[in-house]
Amino acid sequence: MIRLRQLTKRYGEVTAVDDLTVDVRPGVVTGFLGPNGSGKTTTMRMILGLDRPTSGTATISGRPYAGLAAPLREVGALLDAHAVHPRRRAYDHLLWLAQSNDIGRRRIDEVLALVGLGDVARRRPGGFSLGMKQRLGIAAALLGDPPVLLLDEPVNGLDPEGIRWIRTLVRGLAAEGRTVLVSSHLMSEMALTADHLIVVGRGRLIADTGLREFMRSRSPEAVLVRAAAADRLAGLLRAAGASVGTGGGDALTVTGLPSAEIGRVALAHGIALQELTPQWSSLEEAYLDLTRDAVEFAGVPS
Amino acid sequence: MTALGLLRSERTKFRTLRATVRLLAGALLVAGTYGFLFGTAAARDYKAASAAAKAAFDPAGAAFRAMLLAGVLVSAVGVLAVTAEYATGTIRAGVTAVPRRAFLVAAKAAVVALVLLPAGPLLALTSFVASQTALAARGVPSLALGDPGVAGAVAGSALFAALLGLYGVALGFLLRRSAGAICLATFLLLLPGMAALLPPGAARWVVTWWPSAAGAQVFAVHPGAGALGPLAGTGVLAATVLALLLAAVAVFRRRDA
Repeated sequence: MIRLRQLTKRYGEVTAVDDLTVDVRPGVVTGFLGPNGSGKTTTMRMILGLDRPTSGTATISGRPYAGLAAPLREVGALLDAHAVHPRRRAYDHLLWLAQSNDIGRRRIDEVLALVGLGDVARRRPGGFSLGMKQRLGIAAALLGDPPVLLLDEPVNGLDPEGIRWIRTLVRGLAAEGRTVLVSSHLMSEMALTADHLIVVGRGRLIADTGLREFMRSRSPEAVLVRAAAADRLAGLLRAAGASVGTGGGDALTVTGLPSAEIGRVALAHGIALQELTPQWSSLEEAYLDLTRDAVEFAGVPS
Repeated sequence: MTALGLLRSERTKFRTLRATVRLLAGALLVAGTYGFLFGTAAARDYKAASAAAKAAFDPAGAAFRAMLLAGVLVSAVGVLAVTAEYATGTIRAGVTAVPRRAFLVAAKAAVVALVLLPAGPLLALTSFVASQTALAARGVPSLALGDPGVAGAVAGSALFAALLGLYGVALGFLLRRSAGAICLATFLLLLPGMAALLPPGAARWVVTWWPSAAGAQVFAVHPGAGALGPLAGTGVLAATVLALLLAAVAVFRRRDA
């Protein structure tokens, strides 16, 4: 459990994190979302004791980070995959980390195998691809088998295979009962990974909600309907009070009528449905809606 | 987090940096080469000197002069042990693993000192042998290892090297950048060499009390009048280094990593 209370960080005039109060619970993947520059990384750095909060507190299992006796056994973090010495072998990078927290060498081999770097353990990360560095960073985070994990933009710059690997791993870690906080500025990725969302903009909390609730609360529900007799069905649905968009062909976009009702109308008139899919306006749109005012540098529409 | 684990961790970091090992090899080369050159120059001066000057000639003068130059590289070892972490970003992982930052500085300082303690006498011996060989080869009076004061100077070089390494560690933490810290460390170390440019009073003060000059007193086989002597000189250097290290800890603890 990560607990933030009125967490604030100011750099002179700029408030990077503004009065943030949230709990990050165990057993689920919590997505930490916000546009670039919204204070996600600063928040994570304060949780890890790297940056000193201007005011407020961040605690892990009830204690501030600096109070943890063997922090790597309590919290695993991936902040920047590039933050390895390019000339220090992958194994040695994990070795000094392990030694600092009295973690045995066997665990190094374990995490290297877990992230699929067993064969390149003796190589220098200077020659690693971003994906390999990301895996090394994950290995470092998992070194102490910690109950709490913080991953800052772990899928940034990864190929689809790497993205899927991280997604599966992160969900697995949460399923084991760990507290997992994953930051991203990509809503689409969070939609596939997270169970819970913390959305920030300009350092302020915008939403702290379950993924499903977030999607539902934000969007008028629409239903995609396909039927051979689309035109006839459209008229019937309009008569039943729905507004119907015809996209051409046999597809209809119906709003204002739940899917169960649409099915009933179709059945009553003997129309066979080919598809009946409730649609939430994309998560992406909901997110953009929410953070529109909080984007630091917006492009001018041309 | 145990003291032993911390020391092991810092030792691993140090051992797996090639730059530091290369710097030490470079320091050995400098000690040998410049030891020989200082010996050769002293021999040339001796040949050209008057009889009175010849009688006053002290072969110890050239014996350890190369140590201050080698010391530049020795201090750079300390600097790089710190700034390599800032340059690569591993300092953040280091602070995350060891949030008690004073312990982190202490462990790093201890490892650098432990590596440099034996390196000092090795460098001093190299400088001594090279310079005295150069003197002897030209038939100029030279010292042997068994002569009074020589063994003490060689032994004292252990502390000299360790203190210069710690000096580098402190500047590394204070400045965080390799180039800046190494430049400043070098300039401050070699400043007494430019004392001749200063007014006489200031020059006398610098060659006596400036920490690098005072520390080099450990190599004064025959201390001159008015000099601090090996013990007091090393004390001045040690006090300065301690003050810098404490400043480094204070700054490092306050600063966002």
